[in-house]
Amino acid sequence: MLSASRHKTATHQAGRTSQGRSVLLTKLVVAAVLLGLVLAFPALAPDPFILSVGVVIASYAALAVAWNFVGGLTGYISLGHAAYSGLGGYGTALLVTEAGVNPWVSMVVAAVLVGLAAVPIGIASLRVRGASFVIVSIALVLILLLVAQSWAEVTGGSNGLRVPRPFGTDVLRPEQHERFFYLFVALTLVALVLWWVIDRSRLGTGLKAIREDEDKAQALGVPTFAYKLVVFVVSAFMTAMAGGMYALWFGSLDPIFQFSILTGSYLVLMSLLGGVRSLLGPVVGAVIVGYAVEFFKNQYGDSQMHLVALGVLLALVVLFMPDGVIPWVSAQLGRFRPGDTSIREVDAAQLAEERKALEEAKS
Amino acid sequence: MTDLNKLGLETNGLTKAFGGVRAVDGATVSFQEGKINALIGPNGSGKTTFFNCVTGMIRPDSGTVTYQGRDVTGHAPHRIARAGLGRSFQLCRIFPRMTVLDNVLAGVRSAGLVHRLRGAHNPDDIARARELLARVGIEHLERSEARDISYGQQKLLELAGVLMAEPDTIMLDEPAGGVNPALIGRIATLVRELNAEGRTFVIVEHNMELVMSLSDHVVVFDRGRPIASGAPADVQNDPRVLEAYLGV
Repeated sequence: MLSASRHKTATHQAGRTSQGRSVLLTKLVVAAVLLGLVLAFPALAPDPFILSVGVVIASYAALAVAWNFVGGLTGYISLGHAAYSGLGGYGTALLVTEAGVNPWVSMVVAAVLVGLAAVPIGIASLRVRGASFVIVSIALVLILLLVAQSWAEVTGGSNGLRVPRPFGTDVLRPEQHERFFYLFVALTLVALVLWWVIDRSRLGTGLKAIREDEDKAQALGVPTFAYKLVVFVVSAFMTAMAGGMYALWFGSLDPIFQFSILTGSYLVLMSLLGGVRSLLGPVVGAVIVGYAVEFFKNQYGDSQMHLVALGVLLALVVLFMPDGVIPWVSAQLGRFRPGDTSIREVDAAQLAEERKALEEAKS
Repeated sequence: MTDLNKLGLETNGLTKAFGGVRAVDGATVSFQEGKINALIGPNGSGKTTFFNCVTGMIRPDSGTVTYQGRDVTGHAPHRIARAGLGRSFQLCRIFPRMTVLDNVLAGVRSAGLVHRLRGAHNPDDIARARELLARVGIEHLERSEARDISYGQQKLLELAGVLMAEPDTIMLDEPAGGVNPALIGRIATLVRELNAEGRTFVIVEHNMELVMSLSDHVVVFDRGRPIASGAPADVQNDPRVLEAYLGV
């Protein structure tokens, strides 16, 4: 009886691995096709405006994946991630304009500095959980907004700060858009690889345990504070990289847009919409929300109606797809597959064994 | 395996007050190493707060906790866990949206960044996790999400997770609470087996039948401190215990 059941388990597991391989193959093919489409986008875009929308969406994708290091892995929702993209942007701009450093070196140096600054910020803010953490993250971006606006001799205040183009003046706008599109896609890919490595590691399992039940994780021996701080710093660094790249692309910075609570909210919306627990969730969300923002702006012109429309979108997501698009779609597909059951089949011998154990416990 | 001279878990004058209520009030307790210890007492006698102070979930106001001769008072919970003191929670806590297998893998011990960046689903860890799942009897559920399995199965899962962290001493907070009799039997058998392998247990439990049949040493709590301790049969007939429990 025992050997028969063992045999059953073995074949079951063999079937599982071959099934796993075919799933992996399907995923790789889908990823290759998607990447091909993304890389072909600049050639397919009908005009420079559509191309610039593509750049905006790619920058959102990089930011959203960077946000998801903290949001997705630990469940700490930051609404103030514009703090890091803004600091990355201003850091890059000031290094270029004031110190005459190479723009790409400036971008990396600024991001490293933001990553260092994220250590004390993380130590202070990761002590509080849930809604309190959200409020602390908002406070940070609001403080930075006030500082950037009033410290005009450095940041240019509301007049803005001009950033020279990194490719020189002989590279025309459409050409510049195309280069930056590929740069943002590359940055997003780097962030995705990093997220994937962490997600599948022991560190990642510890982080997800924190997301599910922080006290329990700590009781199991997970050094929760150190784990949270590591991804917090990685997230700030990647966000600052995207912010710096944006500054080089857009060429002009204004505190009201750089340290905007709206940017942080977009990142949360994108990640929630796509699904914070899946690798590509934030990218899918960035494409949908980024496109929607540009579409609504186009439709409603200068009014604030695009914000209302986005608010409605957020409400619908929370109501109907709380886990996001990707988990929702795979759940719909999963309905056609045979499911696992939590009911264990027990034969008479096992039942007798359990009864015996029960009797022993009583005696 | 059992060495009576080895220093185990001890507390000295442990105190924790919430506002004016002294939940734990100068508790000096020493648990027997290598044995199954039970911690009993009426509701509100401070057993869970005592547990939380010992495992670092709550910082005590005063007093000390020593484990294997080391002072671990006020240490962070993960440090106490890594020192070899594992625990379960009252009402059972698992990671609901992670698979059963990942729940167990969350307990794996690792040190240093390189170790921690190793894939969680590596053959060594998986083999150990599967072994533990088989041991508690839920290996067939490894791919289910933990929130989808029954409460009793979640209790077994929690135990498997605690075992993954390789504790020398395991503190269980009401292992039989809300569990059917057949499962209580299975949990009791597991505790006996694990104890025979050399693990010390400290069990908070209200099921007296289970406590009396399972434990070697019983500590009775009332109003935040121990009022009696000894072999189950002796404690059962202690007048102070009868008074605390029955109010006679």
